[in-house]
Amino acid sequence: MPLFVKARSFLRNLFLSRRVEIDLDQEVHAHLEMMAEENIRAGMQPNDALRAARVELGGIDQVKVQVREQRLGNWLHSVLFDCRYGIRQLRKNPGPTAVIVFTLALAIGATTAIFSVVYGVLLRPLPYTDSNRIMAVFEVNAEGRWAHLADPNFDDFRDQNRSFQAIAKYSEYVVSVSGASQPSRTTVAPVSPDFLKVFGIQPILGRDFTADDAKKGAGRTVLVSYGYWRQDLGSPQDLSQAHLKIDGAVYSVIGVLPAGFRFPADVDLWLPADLDGENPSRTAHNYYAAGRLRDGVTVELANRDISAIARRIHDTSSEQGDYLLKDGIVVSLQNSITGKARPPLLVLLGAVGFLLLVACANVANLLLAQASVRERELAIRSALGAARGRLIRQFLTEAFLLSLAGGGLGVLGAFWGVAGLLGLAPQNLPRLDSVSISVPVLLFAFLLSTAVAAGLGAFTAARVTSGDLRKGLVEGGRGQAGSQGSQRVGRVIVAAQIAITLVLVVGAGLLGRSLMKVLEVNPGFRVDKIVTMDVSLPWVDDPKAKASQAIFFSNLIDRLKQIPGVRKVGATSGLPMNQDGGLPDGMFLLMTQNEIPRTTDGFGALFQQKERIGNADFCVATDGYFQVLGIPLIRGRIFDERDGANSPHVAVISESLARDRWPNQEPIGHTIEFGNMDGDLRLLTIVGIVGDTHEYGLDAPPRPTVYVNLFQRPRAAVTLTMLSDADTRMVTSAARGILQDLNPEIPARFRTFSQVYSASLGSRRFNVILIGFFLFRQPPHARDWRARRSRRGLRRRSEDDIGPGIAHYFYWCGDWDCRFAGTDAHRGVAALWRHCHRSADFRRSDTAPRWRSAAGLFHSGAARHESRPNGRLALRIERGF
Amino acid sequence: MSPEPTSLLQGTLDLLILKSLIAGEMHGLGVSRRIQQITGGTFVVKPGSLFPALHRMEEEGWISSFWGASENNRRAKYYRLSKAGLRQLEAETKRWGRISWAIAQALGVS
Repeated sequence: MPLFVKARSFLRNLFLSRRVEIDLDQEVHAHLEMMAEENIRAGMQPNDALRAARVELGGIDQVKVQVREQRLGNWLHSVLFDCRYGIRQLRKNPGPTAVIVFTLALAIGATTAIFSVVYGVLLRPLPYTDSNRIMAVFEVNAEGRWAHLADPNFDDFRDQNRSFQAIAKYSEYVVSVSGASQPSRTTVAPVSPDFLKVFGIQPILGRDFTADDAKKGAGRTVLVSYGYWRQDLGSPQDLSQAHLKIDGAVYSVIGVLPAGFRFPADVDLWLPADLDGENPSRTAHNYYAAGRLRDGVTVELANRDISAIARRIHDTSSEQGDYLLKDGIVVSLQNSITGKARPPLLVLLGAVGFLLLVACANVANLLLAQASVRERELAIRSALGAARGRLIRQFLTEAFLLSLAGGGLGVLGAFWGVAGLLGLAPQNLPRLDSVSISVPVLLFAFLLSTAVAAGLGAFTAARVTSGDLRKGLVEGGRGQAGSQGSQRVGRVIVAAQIAITLVLVVGAGLLGRSLMKVLEVNPGFRVDKIVTMDVSLPWVDDPKAKASQAIFFSNLIDRLKQIPGVRKVGATSGLPMNQDGGLPDGMFLLMTQNEIPRTTDGFGALFQQKERIGNADFCVATDGYFQVLGIPLIRGRIFDERDGANSPHVAVISESLARDRWPNQEPIGHTIEFGNMDGDLRLLTIVGIVGDTHEYGLDAPPRPTVYVNLFQRPRAAVTLTMLSDADTRMVTSAARGILQDLNPEIPARFRTFSQVYSASLGSRRFNVILIGFFLFRQPPHARDWRARRSRRGLRRRSEDDIGPGIAHYFYWCGDWDCRFAGTDAHRGVAALWRHCHRSADFRRSDTAPRWRSAAGLFHSGAARHESRPNGRLALRIERGF
Repeated sequence: MSPEPTSLLQGTLDLLILKSLIAGEMHGLGVSRRIQQITGGTFVVKPGSLFPALHRMEEEGWISSFWGASENNRRAKYYRLSKAGLRQLEAETKRWGRISWAIAQALGVS
């Protein structure tokens, strides 16, 4: 009951405040009059009676104030009052207010947008039950690098571990699938039967895999994603009639997985792995592995467990060598997916954090400037009895208003910004689909705004209300341009801003410079005017079937050559810089012509002889491939019509392989054995040497590569390359028609090589654009203090020198980052500290020729910007009060 | 000779207001005079203390108010004790009894 009364009073005080006030007024006046009447009755004159009553009352307004302070919800009233007052103050100075709100909006918006990416990619848990219990398992090789699992190793992990309640291996690849609405290239994942148990999900329709489904020679079964079931299969409730032709074999659809489950990313179909039998090699690293920890088992325990098994395998295996595992490791699946994205994302978050600091420093400066002009108002309020705490609260309230407005605008901007970020983001950034402005992100933005407000408000209030406020009245009330103390604070803020800006500038310079360096690298091939076409035929093992696939591609190439405008056509197993994976690599053997290998086992001993082995990428290609990409022939010859399926098999090697494996020797004429890559044990005779290519991106060194002839070593999945002067769309549709004509069940994916190429630069460009953006929008108000001072004739030479000084400093940085080109941003920022110590002794003459560096360009612009005083704004601030 | 007015102890004002209202509904001045009367002039409650206390107690739900006519037919705001106020008075009275006994014991003036 009292609670109800209280609530009623609270609401009445809040919403009927006028009536409550009238009530109070009447009550106090009635009281006064009654006291006066009493006095008259006691024999006083009416005037004296009233005066005596007033004295006893002690002032009508004081009584009212005392009552008001007792009221429920009084604090809310005074906060609302502060807000109203604050809004009036802010509206009185629309210029600075707008600048502050805009600055905060940009900073908070940028931070929120980046945080949304960081949250979505790194922090948000994977969308599976107890996803923190799901681990990824890797082999660790002799060099300490993590590798995928070989089949027998996985089997040992699965059978011998005591840490996982379920563990499964999986892989993914793109194949041709028909039997649904239309043939398509679809991402499928071969998985072992416990795969769904690891993720704790069950089919919403049909059944999961059983151990029988995975046995060698079992009937072929497939699970489909919800989206695939809806769109490509037409949502049938009865799956008994649903069949798909995957990679040439017919599979029965046995189940549909829940909506939203796509793991690995983009997979639509899951098949039992190894229906044709496992690969017995312990060095064929073909599968990822994931497991769900048993209850009570920690990651450390699981690691020890897996590590012990791995070392046991290492000690007992007959396949010793660099490719055999040395150890095993267990990490959370989330980390294994997002691990590579972590450093750049955190660097970005750090960069926006700095940006936020710069913005806060600017705003603090502006607030101080405003507040120092309000000294007189503060003096009057304090003289009228306002406590210091009350004044501080006023400043806090205003800071809250500003930063909430800024934060609100910023979040609106972030909605737009996130869309932009996602557009810019490199395709290989994992988990992009889970990036959005979600509740935790909004909460972050709100907390950020609150923190900014608290910081700014407390700082301004503490600065302004320290000392004797009433002095403001004594000094005659002319708005002063800051006391000695506040000017010192202003200078500190400017210095901090310059320092932070420097970090950003150097970071951006480094990133930009490394991007430019990378772009300057000669990739070793042509990029423009090339249309690529991914085609995969069903995988076959039978040599005759393989040979017929070679004929199919030969026909296809011949037909493609006839498209008007197409000059050359080639085919390859892996396009350089392709994000899909890259070429397989392995060890080859140097053999002499008369050593005829018979079995795979026979090679075991040969691989022990160090002088016989070499390491290279294995690429299947046609002669046209070298011509289309413009990969130059250094010596010897490339493939030609002599190299038919039944002629001796030949190979072409890359320049770096020739140099490194056969130093001071002519590799042409040597024979090698590389059959472990495709199962064909016939020797390869080296007939030519071609130029290097940067297959793994421009920032990676070229890999040694062995090229073999597609027509001798056929394979099912190839990328056709067409060099053409004609319109891309025209070429694409003609090529699609030809493929349709040859085999209507085979789909193809078309891209231009430029697309593939620029995708590989995505992450670098992403970083540069982001950090560059932050620099570009450096808020311009770091200099109000200087402007204010110069107006008062206090400008000193040292301050005049700031601008050119910074410029020199930046030129020097430009030079410095040339030398460090290619370092990552975080290394760069760390190196900046070292650099700062060394920078004291740079000389003017050092700086002249270095303007060309990207950083230098950025920097001199920033410096000019920074050193120009904004007198007009400063004037307006003064006038505004 | 009436004793010197004493300043009110913390918490006693509420108790005195509740106690004075037990005699019936009354306006602010009435409460003030009543307190003066029942304490033998020891406590004189100034309006600056009285009104905030009355309003606070009304918000607590111990007393309720209404507008009525005074002895001289003047419009005045009257207060009356509510059930919750009565309970509060009982509780406070007990507490006060304990405290005053304890203080008297401590000072040895009983």
